[in-house]
Amino acid sequence: MSGLALAVVIAGLTLVTVVTRSFFLVLGDRVRLPARVRHGLRYAPACALAALILPQLVLADQRLDITWLNPRLDAGIVTIVAMVASRSMLGAMSAGMATFVLLRALF
Amino acid sequence: MRAPATRWLDPLFGRSPALAQVRRAAFLDGMRAFTPAAIATGVWALVTSVATVRMGMSAEAALAMSGLVYAGSAQLAALPLIVAGAPAWLVLLTASIVNLRFVIFSAGLHAYFRHLSLWRRLLLGYLTGDVSYLLAIRRWGSHDRAGPAGTAQIWFYLGLTAANWLVWQSMSVAGILLADRIPASWGMDFVGVLALITLVVPGLTDAPSIAGVLAASVTAILARPAPLKLAVLVAVVAGVAAAMLVELARERRTAR
Repeated sequence: MSGLALAVVIAGLTLVTVVTRSFFLVLGDRVRLPARVRHGLRYAPACALAALILPQLVLADQRLDITWLNPRLDAGIVTIVAMVASRSMLGAMSAGMATFVLLRALF
Repeated sequence: MRAPATRWLDPLFGRSPALAQVRRAAFLDGMRAFTPAAIATGVWALVTSVATVRMGMSAEAALAMSGLVYAGSAQLAALPLIVAGAPAWLVLLTASIVNLRFVIFSAGLHAYFRHLSLWRRLLLGYLTGDVSYLLAIRRWGSHDRAGPAGTAQIWFYLGLTAANWLVWQSMSVAGILLADRIPASWGMDFVGVLALITLVVPGLTDAPSIAGVLAASVTAILARPAPLKLAVLVAVVAGVAAAMLVELARERRTAR
């Protein structure tokens, strides 16, 4: 891709960010969203992060691996359990990372 | 009483001393509220910019990507297409679809910011990522009571998104500068994944939230073969629908 074409694509991508992120905000007072929809959207960011996280746990080289032999999946489960039990972010991350390093060395 | 370390921020808060005090307190509160997300955001910025340079983009192009586009998952989706010489419309279409979840977020923030001027709405929208929206909603609670945000709420959000922006941009620059020195198989991206998990888990305090996250996770895997990175959007819609259904079922049960 030439320098100019790349600059155009990057400008376009910037516009995509602005338009998608401020889509309903730009409409301003012209729209009113029903209370039930507004309430439901509370759940959206956690769902988005889950949708971005899970493929990273269960995919290895584009292949689905949902077995105990997948160190990433095991480490993810350990992190979730440790977070629920300890409420310590650093503690849970350390437990997860230790699991990952250990199992990757073993399997 | 003011912390000297943050005095350089003063011009931001305007001349009226009373208003400036409210704004400053809310802004700093917002910055502090971002702390739990700093590791996850920093690691993702580093991973994204290292990947951008490794795939053959120049440092200037990588800098423009992180500085202007400011959307990690869209950048990572667009990158292989750009490098492969795909047509511009395909790159933009793919990035748009990855970013469609932000349209949903903007609907969630609409009630708070709809009364502001167009430029302010554009700015607050542009600054909204997955993590900043998650943390803001967690702080503000139920959308049922959502009315136009007051000064403190807006400045809290500005502080939160400013901290997010600073961490993202500084770690992006670090990644661009250090791209050649960071070993590929260091497992750093996985630290980012685990950091995101620790960010999501504390919010899973009721049945609808848990159902939503489970539905979104399963859908993201099942919809993976969908073209143009549609999986994330489909997963968000499925997750929100599942959460609302569980909520509805609970309401029915209590009403009976």
